[in-house]
Amino acid sequence: MIPDAHRSESSGAKRIHVVQGEYAVSEDPNVMLGTILGSCVAACVRDPVAGVGGMNHFLLPGDQEAAPRGGGHQALRYGVQSMELLLNALYRMGARRERLEAKLFGGARVIDGLSDVGQQNAAFAERFLKAEGIALMGGSLRGEQARRVQFWPVSGRVRQMALVDPGRQVFEAERAKPVPAPATDDGELELF
Amino acid sequence: MPAAAQIRVMVVDDQMTMRSLVRTGLQQLGFSDIVEAPDGEEALRQILSRPVHLVISDFNMPRLDGMGLLRALRSHGPTAKTAFIMLTGRADKELVQKAVQLGVNNYLVKPFTVQTLKDKIEAVFGKLT
Repeated sequence: MIPDAHRSESSGAKRIHVVQGEYAVSEDPNVMLGTILGSCVAACVRDPVAGVGGMNHFLLPGDQEAAPRGGGHQALRYGVQSMELLLNALYRMGARRERLEAKLFGGARVIDGLSDVGQQNAAFAERFLKAEGIALMGGSLRGEQARRVQFWPVSGRVRQMALVDPGRQVFEAERAKPVPAPATDDGELELF
Repeated sequence: MPAAAQIRVMVVDDQMTMRSLVRTGLQQLGFSDIVEAPDGEEALRQILSRPVHLVISDFNMPRLDGMGLLRALRSHGPTAKTAFIMLTGRADKELVQKAVQLGVNNYLVKPFTVQTLKDKIEAVFGKLT
């Protein structure tokens, strides 16, 4: 699990809220992973044989934001990193790549006239799964509305709700979150 | 100063997308002799068949992981001095320290920039041309 996942428990069910830039995994059938998405994408991935699953939540920096750090290609690294963290956590819990099933959500179009970050996120996620040979079982990508997504990682059940009125706030909150800086060096470990 | 184009590099990662990103970064730095493998076992097989100068390897992989690959290379005479850069996540500090004990030359924290990739390679080989 991850420190930024917000947890709450009621009547035996455990809810974990997966915030932007983070992920969570579980093998507990009572756990529900939830998130709210605008342009961001969440990949809900599980191994039905191992009985484990997880969700991430990422936003590729748009071209304008990413330009100072190398443009769109550089931006892809954040998506790759997010997917890798989720998949590695699942592998550590016994999942096998060839058994993985994924559902993708989010990637909504935000504001007319600006670059369609949601489309970039959605296209990246689809390309990633295809390149890695992970089965895409469904989901809901693109569109123009923010979504609330709930995922039960063991059963694979997913519930999605469109957010009409508060949707604009979701998009604005996503954009307000600072773009993470790439690791320019090891930072805390000076071994060489 | 070594020429990047003359350095043969093996990129090892179980994710094709990550291998592709590393390859693209290497190509931007002038490397052209680049081979890939999806896990340590396949990388070792290829390296024993045709040696490389530099291995850039992920840690988490099926079959033989990055540490196993490093250990295998270091314990085999002809490959014992092959330069080895480990790809790692921020949370893998203990693994990095273990890799250092096994003789890793350097490591890269993901996600990394092309400039950082260059810096790490130059820390091993010296200034590239």
